Formats: sequence, C-alpha cells, structure tokens
Amino acid sequence: MDIEEVKRRAGPREFSPKDDLPEEYRKAATRMIQFHANSEIMGAYLERPFIREAPSLDRKLACSAKVQDEIGHGQLLYRAAESLGLKTRDEMLDELANGEGKFLNCFHYPMESWVETPMIAFFVDGAAMRRQATLKRTSWEPYAHAMDKVCFEEGFHVKHGEAILHELMTGSKKEQEMTQEAFEVWWPRIIQFFGPTNDKSTHHGFASEVGLKQMGNDELRTAFLNAYIPKAEKYGLEIPDEPRIRKNDDGTYEVVEEDLDWDEFFTIAKNDYDGSHQQINGRQKAQEAVDWVREVLDEHEAREFGSTQQQAAD
Amino acid sequence: MAVKESLPAPDELTDEQQEAVEHLLYRLADDEFVVAERYTEWQVRSPTLESDLALANIAQDELGHARLWYDLLEDFGYTESELVWERDPSEWRHSTLVEQPFAEGDWADAIVRSYLYDQAEYIRLEALEESSYPRIRDRIQKIIQEEDYHREHAENWMSRLAEEKQGLERLQTAFDRLFPYALTLFAPTDEDVEDRIDELGLRSDPLDVMREEWLDVVVPFFEDLGVSVDDAELPEQYDVHHSEFDLPEHVGRDQSHTDAWFDLQEEFTHTYQKLDRHEANRIMKDPDEA
Amino acid sequence: MIWEVFRQENAGDYHEHCGNVHAPDREMALMFAEVQHARRKPTNSLWVAPKDEIGEVDTEDAKFGGTTDKSYRWAVTYDFEAAASEVEESTDEQAEADRRRKVQQEKQEAQGGD
Repeated sequence: MDIEEVKRRAGPREFSPKDDLPEEYRKAATRMIQFHANSEIMGAYLERPFIREAPSLDRKLACSAKVQDEIGHGQLLYRAAESLGLKTRDEMLDELANGEGKFLNCFHYPMESWVETPMIAFFVDGAAMRRQATLKRTSWEPYAHAMDKVCFEEGFHVKHGEAILHELMTGSKKEQEMTQEAFEVWWPRIIQFFGPTNDKSTHHGFASEVGLKQMGNDELRTAFLNAYIPKAEKYGLEIPDEPRIRKNDDGTYEVVEEDLDWDEFFTIAKNDYDGSHQQINGRQKAQEAVDWVREVLDEHEAREFGSTQQQAAD
Repeated sequence: MAVKESLPAPDELTDEQQEAVEHLLYRLADDEFVVAERYTEWQVRSPTLESDLALANIAQDELGHARLWYDLLEDFGYTESELVWERDPSEWRHSTLVEQPFAEGDWADAIVRSYLYDQAEYIRLEALEESSYPRIRDRIQKIIQEEDYHREHAENWMSRLAEEKQGLERLQTAFDRLFPYALTLFAPTDEDVEDRIDELGLRSDPLDVMREEWLDVVVPFFEDLGVSVDDAELPEQYDVHHSEFDLPEHVGRDQSHTDAWFDLQEEFTHTYQKLDRHEANRIMKDPDEA
Repeated sequence: MIWEVFRQENAGDYHEHCGNVHAPDREMALMFAEVQHARRKPTNSLWVAPKDEIGEVDTEDAKFGGTTDKSYRWAVTYDFEAAASEVEESTDEQAEADRRRKVQQEKQEAQGGD
C-alpha cells in the first residue's frame, strides 16, 4: 500500500498487522504509540512513592491499583507499538532507560507531596483521558483496541484523583492551602499538556492525515478546560491569573502563549530538564537492577521453545 | 469435627479472651499490612511489565486481608488511626521476615520471602477455618481463596529462577538471609497468651505444630530446587537436621524489631503526620456491609 | 491436528473464537476454516492457532478478580459526578462489568454449593 492509499482509506481501526503498510506510516505510528506507552510508565514511576505515602488503608489500596493499571496500560501500548514491526518492547524500554524515549511533559517534574497527587491523578489523567477517548477511533487497530481497555479502566483513575482532591479541599485549612499552592505550580504544566496552540508541526499534520490522530490539540485543550475548570472551581481552587485564558464566544478557549514557559517545555521535550534526568535515571537504575531476571527468563524460554529470538514483532 | 464452643460476641468476651483474640489478630493484620507495604516497592520496578502487575495484585490482596483483620480489632473500639497510623512502631507484632528491606533488584528476595510467607500463611489460615471465634471464622474463606495464586506465583518463579546458575545462587543467598527471620513467623507473642489462644480453640493447631507442617513443605521444596538448607538453623524438633533452634535477635512477635521497620513506619506515616490527620478516610464499605 | 479458529467480522473488530478444524498444517487450516467458518457469516479476517498451544485457566482453578472486596479499583465506588463524558462512559462500562461479574459469581456459588 502506498501512502496515498493509506491517506484515502484512513478511517477508524482501518489498518491491522496483516496490512502491507508503508514505512512512513509505521514510523509515525510507532513514534506516537511509543510516546504514549513511555508516558504510562513514567507516570507510574512518578506516582509510585505515593502508594507508601497514602494516609489510609483504602487510599493505599487505590494508589497501588492505579499504578498497577498504568503499568498495564504500558503493557497494552507497547504491544500495539510492537505490532508495527519496527521495534520490540525491550528496545523501546531500553530507549526509555537511556534517555532517548520521549514522554509527557508533566511526568518530568518531581512530585514531593501528597497534595500534588490529584494534580496528576485528576487533572493530568483527565486531560489524558480526553485524548485517549478520541484515540478509540485511531486508524491502527491494535492501538484502538488498547484504547478500549485503557478507557474502560481510566475512569477509576480520574474519579480516584477527584476523591483525593475533594478530601484535601474539604480538609483542614492547611491542607486546602497546600493544595492551592500545588495547583498553582502544576496548572501551567497541565495547560502545556496539549502542546502549543495551533501546532503546525509536521508530525502532527501527518498523523492526522493517516488517521492516527483523531482530534487536534486545540480542540482537546478546549474540551478539557470546559470540563475541568468548573470542577477545579467547584472544589474551591482558584485558577491562577497566568497563563491568561480567554473564553471565546463560540465556547473555545484561547491561552495566552507568552504566559507559558515554552523554553522549559522544549527543554523537557528533549529530555534535558533537571527533573527529566532525575526521573529517567532513577527508572533506568531500577530497570538495570533486574536485568538478571530477564536473562534467566530468556534462557528458560530458549530451553522451552528452542530459540531466544524475539518473534517477528506481530 | 471437634469444634470448640463458639466464643461470644466481641463486647461479651472476658478480658482474658479478648487479649487472646487481639494477639491473634495483631499477628495476622500486622503481617499482612507490612508484607504488602514491602511488596509495593516492586511496583514499576519488577523485572517485566507482566510480573509488575502480578506482584502488585498480590500486594493488594494482602493489604485487603490486613484491612479485614484490622476491622475485627475495631470491634474492640479501636480506630484505623489507632491501629495503623498512630500506633507506636514498637508495639507492632508482625514477624521480622516481612519488614526486611529489599536490596535494589533483588527479585530472588521477593520470591523467596513470598514463598516462605505464603506457605506459612496458608497453614495458619487453615488452622483458623474452625476457629471458635465466629468473626474470624466467617472471614477465612474469602481470604484463603486468594492465597492459591500467591503460592503458585512464588513456586513458579522459584523453579524458573533455580534453572540458571545465577538464579540459583541468588535464591540461595536470599534463603540464607531470610530463613532465620521466617522462623519468627511461628514465634509466640507471649507464651501464656499463645497457650490461651489454643485452649480457647481460636486456632486448631499450636504454633510448633504449624511450624513442623511448614518445614515439611518448604524444606523439601528448596532442596529439590538445589537450594541447600544445610546451614539453616532448623529447630531441633524438626527431625531432618538437629541444630539449636535459634531465632534472630529481633523476632517481631514480641514487639522487638529491626531498624528497617522504624524507617519504614516513618515513611508510611509521613503524609498522615505532615497533614496533621487524625482520621483515616474510607473509600470502601464496612466489611460487614460489603 | 486441531486448529482453533477466530473470526473477525469487520476491520477493527476483535477476533472471536468461532470453532475449529482438523488440518495437517497452518496453511491447510486457514483454507479449511475459510469455508467451514466463513462461508456465510460476514468475515473480514480469520486467525487459526494450534489447539495444543492454547493455555487455559478457568473458574475451577482461579478466582478471577479476587474474592475479597476490591471496590477501590472500580470507578463506581467514587461517588462524584463525572467530570467529562469519557469519564462517565468509563464508569458506566465498569458498572456493567461489575454487574455481570456479580451475576456470574452468584451463579457459580449457587452451582458450587460450597
């Protein structure tokens, strides 16, 4: 199939591993799904210390379940990426460990306090879920199938995040103040989740043309703000003055770009932020520490099936 | 079966009966809570994504069991805050096996620990199936049904790790370090109270009988895999090896703990303390209503 | 040799098990499956897999989803108005899965008797 035919046919769940797809499609899809998978892992990595920090038994259970789900989403997504035939999961995890793998901006920032947990679990997950819901209609069938299960599970994450936010904002004055402070720190990052407005990058255009992406970042940002600003206000959070967000008559939002730190955003995009190094290196160390177990499993598998060769990635 | 006469409701127990029930429940609840707390350290750090999910699930199972046992202690008027979040760490009664820290990447420790623990867990749960205390008896079935996966998980991993030289060496190292601590699983909290637990029929087997039963399972299993138990200080009652039954310095059951426990307790109570919390918030329904 | 057959109706759908065929190899299995399992039912794709290569665990061996209360992992437990339609959809899907799971458990308990 040539790229023109791909563009012509590009509908929801249109292409599967049996299709003979051009390299260009496979590369774009791999880049996008690998980014998504990496983000699940790095999100989980960021949140894992808060399983320990959780201040009640029930909350600890929920935090453990949430981190577990994120790793499960990583599992689904790496498989969807692997099925494009360009990279194996091990290769992608190695890229993530050595700093080549890219992931969401929000997961490059260290998280130090429990009051920050709803910033990820409610707002960032809410933003991610908005995007993921549209990806059920992506053109790469294995990706869409992964999204079916991810979206099925993700409602728990957002509601769990909301429950923590509610608890903090109806708690002591101290808790409310700490939460507001954390919100002010995280809010610009959350807005940047959707990237710069009117993103004309080549990756983005192509991904839309071949049906991988189903909705533009501006539309997603608007939908997110429409749903989550009222929620933030409902819980008594004050939306920071900056970045300035203007609501247009047609219900869309305009974020004043110059109020956001794009240098930082693009430093993060290159994995070059201080927090990036901290998060990536920490996880790399953990991954390498269990290399020996994977070696044992590979040898076992070779004995069982006669070869350690990774099966062709479909 | 020779079921002892059931004990009355929690608020009708004599002080001595209540003390026995409490000791038994602290053994159960504290073990489950602390073992789970340690297991969660493997989340996002396990060897593969699939194994990460599996161990996280086991952690949640155990934590859920702890929750059920603490709930029975709440029958005596304690709150979750008093039982978990505000209890002095030097009052906990878990075995020192479960509080041991993991060295980074020491998956063999996680597996050997869970094997030793889950085999013991299964035996002690079986001994509670006909407990004279109805509140315990009623909760056993749901809990014990989740234990099969735990044992199967540990056994499957052990046999695969043992196939390779480096895996076997790591199993051996983990066994040598953990085994003395594992023996504390069967140590008494207090001799008199433990005797009373048996006399009241709260459990059907005394600690030393359960320990023998456990040794009969775990020792041959390790030996079959090629893990040597020759250096293990097995209890003299156990008739394969005759050496002094020597527990480590810190037993846990008697409220003596290793330093690692105090660090761990500080970490998991950190948010609760920092936010000046006085209550632990619930998400789920009370176990009696669920 | 027996091959299990999985049929996908439309592009993007899931492949669902629909039967099996006797065949000496994968190529022949696909050829036979095409006629046996897809000559009438609308079909976009078929998979075959050797029966012996399929592992199984069922309710005899496993307690899927556990036996103690795990409501902390279900969206329905958290009583908040969904922030957005996708959160609501997810919650509804979970509520439905939970409902079906409970019906199934009750059925098993009634049958099992222990």
